[in-house]
Amino acid sequence: MQNSEELKWALLIASLAMLTMAFCMISFVMYYQKRRFEEEKKINDIEKNYNRLLLDTALNSEETERRRIAQDLHDDIGTMLSLTKLSLNQLNKLVSKIGDDKQDLIMKKSQSLVEETILHVRRITRDLVPTTLERFGLMEAIEEFINKLEEDNNLVISFHSNTEEFPRQGQKLELTLYRIMQELVNNAIKHASCSKIDISLEVDDQFIGLRVTDNGVGFDPEKIKENNLAGLGLLGIESRLSIVNGTMQYERPSSGGSSAFAQIPVMPIPENKPEPLHPFRRERVNI
Amino acid sequence: MSEIYIAFIVRKPIPSIAVFITLLPLILLVVRKAYLDPSFKLLLFYLFAKLVIDLIMLHSASLHRNNLIFYNLSIPLFYALLSGMFYYKINSQSYKRLLTFTMVGFAAFTIWDIFHSNSELNDMHNHRAVLYSMTVQGVLIIAIILLYFYEIIKSLQIPNLLTFPFFWVCSGLLLYFSSLIFIAPVLHYTATWNNSIDLGIIRTIPFIFEILCAVLFSVGIYYFPLKDYAKQ
Repeated sequence: MQNSEELKWALLIASLAMLTMAFCMISFVMYYQKRRFEEEKKINDIEKNYNRLLLDTALNSEETERRRIAQDLHDDIGTMLSLTKLSLNQLNKLVSKIGDDKQDLIMKKSQSLVEETILHVRRITRDLVPTTLERFGLMEAIEEFINKLEEDNNLVISFHSNTEEFPRQGQKLELTLYRIMQELVNNAIKHASCSKIDISLEVDDQFIGLRVTDNGVGFDPEKIKENNLAGLGLLGIESRLSIVNGTMQYERPSSGGSSAFAQIPVMPIPENKPEPLHPFRRERVNI
Repeated sequence: MSEIYIAFIVRKPIPSIAVFITLLPLILLVVRKAYLDPSFKLLLFYLFAKLVIDLIMLHSASLHRNNLIFYNLSIPLFYALLSGMFYYKINSQSYKRLLTFTMVGFAAFTIWDIFHSNSELNDMHNHRAVLYSMTVQGVLIIAIILLYFYEIIKSLQIPNLLTFPFFWVCSGLLLYFSSLIFIAPVLHYTATWNNSIDLGIIRTIPFIFEILCAVLFSVGIYYFPLKDYAKQ
């Protein structure tokens, strides 16, 4: 009888110990799995931030390089061209005294070529560094961009915004929006065979939206996503947006053509706002 | 006839609840269409087989007949169904191969154990519970569950275990077999007609955890993503 009691106690203790172990095992698996997920998430976040930083640095370097080229063009080639123009003017006076028509014609042609080159250099410098954007803001920069495009192409480009006075945003955000707009419009001109482009800018307390719509041949956004057909331009847009936590949506309007909508959260403007960038000042850009 | 069953149920409420509680996960499994998953299909077969065998055993017990032959025969069948569930869940091919070997090996071992535990197989009245098989089954199932947990932790594919149906199934089985592993071999000596040792409350521990196991199965099946499988 005593043996029976001992057996019962032994069984009870052994079973309870086994059950405790089972409970501990289940709890451990739950806890450990949760902890590993948290660690994995942390590592992913660090990787993501690191990639973002890399991308940011790359884009900053690109802007710095653009600025350096613009500066060199203006300071070196621009100055030399101006001096060439002055020299040609002096030479022109000498040639006109001789009164040789043929020499006079060659002189006029040379002067005209130099003037044209000076204009080209100015245009390239402005394209490289959007000074209007930095001095006057996004709306003015877009308007200037549209004016230039309409001069060179047989295109109708319209621009409208939901506000009269578009509030100034951080330098990085404005530049991102401007570059995206540039890329989308250039894409529409290059690939969509369109005759009309519509740019709209919407701003509220939380988001800034930029929509570029064209009436061209259009494309299937799903196919591009599925087949990884996005070219460097679209990838560049995605990269720029990822730095400012923005999103991109491509749509196919029922009326035809295509529409791209970029949305970026409004970021607080830093208190020590940097001075407007000047294309002709040699400095590193920190956007 | 029904009075006999009612009398038995009243006399042994916990073992009786352990029989009928199987209906809960079984019904849930059908309602939530969890059987579309191969592992849960085997769980459905397991629960159905368990219910049928338990009802036969309840019927025999009510009539004071020895029902241990059903208990003994159910062991390899239940092991095959339960390990089959893990066969579909475990990713490692070597573990899968190992599972297949244990299914065949364990069936052979149980047959040997039935013969070893019962010198007179024709004598159904004095038929005894197997000595080792239930414990071996418990050890094997616990080992498989631990292997599966190891794979889950290693692969990090399940973000939230609490909403993962099979985790609840594993937890139920782990608790049930942990409660049974030490008691099972003793049943060989105590579950006899001329038994002088009464295990008392200890005998009910496995039944309590059998009920808990069925409840945990039900929780797991409740979390089954019906919307994803209903399309199939």
